[in-house]
Amino acid sequence: MAHPAAAAEAIFGLSPLVVSLAIFVLTYAVIVTEKINRSVVALLGAGLMIFAGVLNQAEAFHGIDLNTISLLTGMMVIVAITQKSGVFQYVAVKAAKVVKADPWGLLVMLSVVTALFSALLDNVTTVLLIAPVTLLITDALRISPYPYLFSVIFASNIGGTATLIGDPPNIMIGSAAKLTFNDFLFNLTPVVALIMALTLIPVYFIWGRKLHASPEDRALVMGFNERESITDARLLKQALFVIALVIAGFVLAHSIGQEPGTIAMFGAALLLLLRVYDKQAEDQSHAIHHTFGEVEWITIFFFVGLFVVVAGIEKAGALELLAHEIVNWTGGDFTVTAYVILWVSAVLSSVVDNIPFVATMIPVIQSMGSVFTPQQIDTLWWALSLGACLGGNGTLVGASANLVVAGMAERAGQPIRFLPFMLMAFPLMLASIAVSSVYLWLRYL
Amino acid sequence: MTLRAVPVLPEPVCVSPDTSLLDALHLMLDKGVNHIPVCDGGAWAGLVDINDILGELLPVSARGEHGLEDLRFVGDGVALIATHLKLLATKRVRDVELLDLPTLDENTPLLEAALLLHRHAAPLPVLGEDGTFKGMLSRRVLLAHLISKAGN
Repeated sequence: MAHPAAAAEAIFGLSPLVVSLAIFVLTYAVIVTEKINRSVVALLGAGLMIFAGVLNQAEAFHGIDLNTISLLTGMMVIVAITQKSGVFQYVAVKAAKVVKADPWGLLVMLSVVTALFSALLDNVTTVLLIAPVTLLITDALRISPYPYLFSVIFASNIGGTATLIGDPPNIMIGSAAKLTFNDFLFNLTPVVALIMALTLIPVYFIWGRKLHASPEDRALVMGFNERESITDARLLKQALFVIALVIAGFVLAHSIGQEPGTIAMFGAALLLLLRVYDKQAEDQSHAIHHTFGEVEWITIFFFVGLFVVVAGIEKAGALELLAHEIVNWTGGDFTVTAYVILWVSAVLSSVVDNIPFVATMIPVIQSMGSVFTPQQIDTLWWALSLGACLGGNGTLVGASANLVVAGMAERAGQPIRFLPFMLMAFPLMLASIAVSSVYLWLRYL
Repeated sequence: MTLRAVPVLPEPVCVSPDTSLLDALHLMLDKGVNHIPVCDGGAWAGLVDINDILGELLPVSARGEHGLEDLRFVGDGVALIATHLKLLATKRVRDVELLDLPTLDENTPLLEAALLLHRHAAPLPVLGEDGTFKGMLSRRVLLAHLISKAGN
């Protein structure tokens, strides 16, 4: 079916560029105020783009990256089922016991475990699983949970940068730029591991060396029986089987000619099948309805709306204009362009949500394809990913995971305040970007 | 018929928001009740529930949304409970989230009072016209009244 191309003029005969930019700025401004739920704002902005004549419905739908949406939804279903098995609690308690509940060893272990989980799950899920165990162990050791929660925040954002599926910006970048799971593994994981290790050095000098717990309290933690956390052994086996299959799928995706969205969604359906195949029809509906209910639909619809809003300004030519401006401003110098993207992404992502920022930057970098070689464009993707993901550590509002941990800390009577957090976190975040700069320089520039 | 017709309200026992949780617990155990009304200078301030006090003995990580699902892996946890038990004397009634209940007054119809009681797992406060706390209406009191009326 042929769709009429959008008119050269938008509503009231105004230029589509002006109209689309006005809707874009308005949408982002309202999102930043956080007065109205972000998914609603994004969907309203998307609707306005269509009503104002910037896009028609078919073009709007075309702008929605269904690979990203399926990958996110599929992983959310898998994680929602897996977390019921208690496996994450098992690993966290085991990690604490491996270091004999030594406070500094515990901090290192919890950071490493958080980073590893974040690399494979989304960051919010990871901190939702790790923070309660962290609070329990620090409660038992009678030490302040603050350094631990701080490190969990840092590790979740750092770990999330490591893989294609670790953080939504990476999912979007991977999907748009056709970068595979292995591309992320080879290009980002090494530097992310280095940044994680380096971040622990200042944490040791600020808090680590002063942490102390009594032998009795450590004995209490050593008395924890992590095996008791596994509430459902059958579920555990099913979940680990499907996760192994899905990760193998991601690694092989490129060679078998499949997209990550298909693999994640198929994995989700397979795990759902394993959960319900021996149940009555009514129980099946109930269980599946419940699992689907745990998908974070706010995030999913936020993505849908944003993709349409960005498609609007992209079609109107605003992003190409911006790309030209950046290239002009950097004099077409590739090294300068890469560093501008890295540092600007980091600073902006520390104060605003990195998802809308990355959604906007993707078409900008794509349209630089006329100036730079494909290899150079790939480097720009790594710069964008490192900046946008690591930037989330800069302030308490830099990433959703930070706010989730802050909420738990507040309930535990150990609130994490905006300013004290930023005074520590922002310099540490800049240090991680400096390390990334050196890495980009040595490897690509 | 309204609540005005229910003649006996249980004797009002009230604690202040500054009462320690340990004192509130002792009061509940002495009186054999699960809730105690909280009054701030004669005005209704909420209901403290024995479950809130039990909750204070648990690790905070297992309370509330997204907390630990179970604590079997902790073992008997006597040491943890003992630590938290000591803190009960220092925590105030105002530190826990008091039950937010609908309030009744003399003009509340009996049917409405019965519905509200049915929907909330606690007795409900009856307030005077000037907003002062008069006492609590429990399921027992209401049902006893209804039965006695039905007999006539």
